[in-house]
Amino acid sequence: MRYQNATAYRFLAPYLLIFSIFWLWPIIDSFLISFQATRTVPWRFAPTFNWGRLIGDPAFFNALKNTLLILVIQVPVMISLAIVMAVLLNSPLLKARGLFRFAFFAPVVVGEVAYSAVFRLMFNLDYGIINKLLNSIGLPSVDWFTNVTPAMAVIMMAVTWRWAGYNAIILLAGLQSIPEDVYEAATLDRVSKVKQFFYITLPLLKPIIVFCAVLSIIGTMQLFTEPFLITERGGPGGGTETLGLLLYRQGFRSLNFGYASAIAYTMAGLAIAISLVQIWLTREPK
Amino acid sequence: MAAVTLKNVIKRFGVFEIVHGANIDIDDGEFVVFVGPSGCGKSTLLRMIAGLEDISDGEIAIGGKVVNDIEAADRGIAMVFQSYALYPHMTVEQNLSFGLRMTGNPKADTERRVKRASEILRIAELMKRRPRQLSGGQRQRVAIGRAIVREPQVFLFDEPLSNLDAELRVQMRVEISRLHKELGVTMVYVTHDQTEAMTLADRIVVLNAGNIEQIGAPLDLYDDPANRFVAGFVGSPKMNFLAAKIVGADNGAAVVELVNHRGARLRKPLSDALPAIGGDVVLGVRPEHFFDAGQGDCDLTLKADVAEHLGSVSYVYANSGTGGGREELIIEREASRHRANGDDLVVSIKADRSLLFDATGARIR
Ligand SMILES: Nc1ncnc2c1ncn2[C@@H]1O[C@H](COP(=O)(O)OP(=O)(O)O)[C@@H](O)[C@H]1O
Ligand SMILES: [Mg+2]
Repeated sequence: MRYQNATAYRFLAPYLLIFSIFWLWPIIDSFLISFQATRTVPWRFAPTFNWGRLIGDPAFFNALKNTLLILVIQVPVMISLAIVMAVLLNSPLLKARGLFRFAFFAPVVVGEVAYSAVFRLMFNLDYGIINKLLNSIGLPSVDWFTNVTPAMAVIMMAVTWRWAGYNAIILLAGLQSIPEDVYEAATLDRVSKVKQFFYITLPLLKPIIVFCAVLSIIGTMQLFTEPFLITERGGPGGGTETLGLLLYRQGFRSLNFGYASAIAYTMAGLAIAISLVQIWLTREPK
Repeated sequence: MAAVTLKNVIKRFGVFEIVHGANIDIDDGEFVVFVGPSGCGKSTLLRMIAGLEDISDGEIAIGGKVVNDIEAADRGIAMVFQSYALYPHMTVEQNLSFGLRMTGNPKADTERRVKRASEILRIAELMKRRPRQLSGGQRQRVAIGRAIVREPQVFLFDEPLSNLDAELRVQMRVEISRLHKELGVTMVYVTHDQTEAMTLADRIVVLNAGNIEQIGAPLDLYDDPANRFVAGFVGSPKMNFLAAKIVGADNGAAVVELVNHRGARLRKPLSDALPAIGGDVVLGVRPEHFFDAGQGDCDLTLKADVAEHLGSVSYVYANSGTGGGREELIIEREASRHRANGDDLVVSIKADRSLLFDATGARIR
């Protein structure tokens, strides 16, 4: 038995080694670094230096506010959209299901830089297709990237476009695991399709919805690419700066690793806390 | 309560015709069982009555009213599914009341109906549990309860017992029989299990590959099957079929030679026109219709292969040896613990305890 275990560990060793060096150690080390003053060489231990700065830093609260704002608007909108997409994908009336499934999933596969560039072009003030469309129905052009509210909207739309289909595919698997005869029983019970959706589909899908929501919350807490590339490093004027971007700015622009580590741990802590609350709120009645 | 009438009902899925024109008259309060091998179209037929599947051609009437274009919920039926189809996230009580609550039925009436169903099925102590906290038999009770709550004119059951173990199946079978007596409502019950059909039914509809082979009371099907399929399907163990040839016909009787039994011959009186001499036929003999040597009209000498002793009776699996082609037979004998394998076994068959079928399987009476 012990011998067999040893064999297993020898097979696992390469992975464990890499995991330790590139995952475990950075996780521990960044925790330690967050308690050090890293703006002067040599670094010195100063527990309140970064964490004290964090709770009084307007840039941090701005990034936190932006991140949470995106979170509370974008995640529910995206999950709702994903549910609708999943239900449509699951409809027996749908032709070319395979094509749609691929199309919905495709955005995840597209390179981040490429998709960001396309979104910048689409929302361009003078030649963007979005403004062209607005004009064509008689609405004025929107200067998407110089005002905070439209810039935030672009970020949310971009993230939603990229991840809604991915969530829809996960939800579709959940939908398909609900047996057809449960709906037939409801039909015989004279329960309308709409009520079937709200009283049968949604409750049975709830664990999957929670799973998608938690994944999305974790993803949005780390949001970086879109504000970095689409709104050009959190522009206009920090109006779309997220925690991920602030971390990057502190760590890799100012080389202030201690503060960046403190921000990183704050992000992770928030993601865990929000997810736990979410799971707790939607737990199964015993 | 209502009668159910199927007139020339046809079902096609795309180009495939699955049910080829079914005509069935089910009386008010009758218990009718559709039985047949898996895939023969029993469920499809039941689902057309329920309104879950549309009718490609023909007419279905419930209580004298044609229901082809009436919504499933308005047909006055309730259905019990093979997989129970309970709402997994609801308690038993919620499962029973869901349909009534959703359609705004008065609360007091809903409560009355749920209470009545729980009393009939003795599930009152389960009301707060969820389906996954119930055993298979309890789930089936809840599923039946949900049907009772609808107070339907016709109950439809689609293989409701096939997910239960053997003992529970017998118990629930009795329960369903009791329910039918208690409610006096028309019931249509689908099963592939001929024992279930024989024990439950007032009348049985035997289906095969989308065709109705015969409709009749259980013992009528057993005694007087219309064709070889019904003869083989009804009864357990199955009827034996012996290859035979007509070698003579006179005075209202045919003489058949059992080709695998060293030319053994049986004179079989018939009321139909006598078949042509030389024609291939099949003689059907039930396992319980073999008699001791010399007691019947024709003796057969067999070799015993295996004997199954059930206590009250024994089933001997025997073969015809080398008296022509080799033919396997199942023979019921009085309980005997001493029969050894490979023994010779002489049995006798009787003309009035055997059935004759022509080469296409149709009965020659
Ligand atoms: N929705 C469907 N589409 C195509 N063929 C079907 C469908 N439902 C059933 N069938 C076919 O119809 C035949 C009868 O099915 P069914 O009524 O379920 O049989 P049973 O209940 O007697 O086992 C089967 O051959 C089955 O493959
Ligand atoms: Mg079936």
